[in-house]
Amino acid sequence: MAAMEMNREQFERMTQGDKPVLVDFWAPWCGYCRRIGPAFERIAEAYADRLTAAKVNIDEEAQLAEAERIEVIPTLMLYRNGKVVDSIVAPESQAAIDRFIRDALAG
Amino acid sequence: MNERHIYDMIVIGGGPGGYTAAMYAARAGLDVLVLEKLSAGGQMALSEAIDNYPGFEEGIDGFTLAEKMQRQAERFGAKTAYAQARRAALSGAVKTLETDAGTFYARTVALATGANPKPLGIAGETALVGRGVAYCAACDGMRYRGKTVAVVGGGNSAAADALLLSRIAAQVILVHRRDALRATKVYHEPLMQAKNVSFRWNSVVTELLHDGHVTGVRLKDTATGEESELPCDAVFVSIGREPATALVRDQLALDAAGYVIADETTQTNLPGVYAVGDVRAKPLHQVVTAVSDGAVAVQMAEAYLASLTDGGRTAKI
Repeated sequence: MAAMEMNREQFERMTQGDKPVLVDFWAPWCGYCRRIGPAFERIAEAYADRLTAAKVNIDEEAQLAEAERIEVIPTLMLYRNGKVVDSIVAPESQAAIDRFIRDALAG
Repeated sequence: MNERHIYDMIVIGGGPGGYTAAMYAARAGLDVLVLEKLSAGGQMALSEAIDNYPGFEEGIDGFTLAEKMQRQAERFGAKTAYAQARRAALSGAVKTLETDAGTFYARTVALATGANPKPLGIAGETALVGRGVAYCAACDGMRYRGKTVAVVGGGNSAAADALLLSRIAAQVILVHRRDALRATKVYHEPLMQAKNVSFRWNSVVTELLHDGHVTGVRLKDTATGEESELPCDAVFVSIGREPATALVRDQLALDAAGYVIADETTQTNLPGVYAVGDVRAKPLHQVVTAVSDGAVAVQMAEAYLASLTDGGRTAKI
């Protein structure tokens, strides 16, 4: 399943739950965000049974991005039970995203 | 995931050179795998518009062009493994590549790892990329139409960037740590004549000033030690590139700047290993010259494989 585009309301509802939510904060003008995109989709598929993968366009959801203190994009944040588990900024490879998720889920 | 399969060719890096090599190899009937750490395109994928790649008369963004090249190679049977090569053993008949997703083997290797712009190496730089810190005037310059931009560097690429930006931005300030350009003379005259280009000689950037987006830079005079602030909307860092050769540093002959030494045939000092694209020492690093290398490398690899007993197929891991 492809990562869904999330608005603020969906974000607030889904990140409260038990199932971890991986959010990619991005913007259309960010070149590196685009490069991360295909890798993020593959990760979303690989972890489909363990987490929900979603994307937040910080231009469209500026308030949400500010509330989550997103200063740099791409930032990936992992949420569970309404809390941030961990985050990573501009991962250099698909393996780095994979490692981030495994560590965050294990921690 | 250890794959004991031996590929005819493994391409390291999924930029334009890499996927062109993969496309030619697949079309030649070679069993070819591309190792790509993130997604197709390399440096090209970060370019908003490529206007000098023939056949796209309106220009095309680098990310889309990369996806097209990948799909084209895959149409003929090339495969991609999303993995970053960590160690390479390239001297034997069978080359071994250890990655973060297992070990891969091949009879030939096309090294297409590209190059990366050198960073200034100061605090906050990475965080401000896309927010006023840029490394490619041709890619990101259009965003600063009518604005004030600083260009850091004094070589040919800095001079070319400053000239290009002078046609877009309102003001261009070239910041250089020496008191004269290292750039070729051909750049001097037009730069000196451009009304909106000024110079800050003997100056280094010590700090990026920002409010989430660049608002200026702090400069230090290398002669007097005096510090000053230079307000600007963007900083274009143009202090050269570093080829991505960490993987092969101990095995391949490199020039003084770190590029792999290989002539137009792309052959390196090791049999069956080819240097493709920006990682190769050559006079012009462009998408159009990278794809050319990819095609040539496959031609050489085919000849090399044909010269081996049984096309190298009897070689053991």
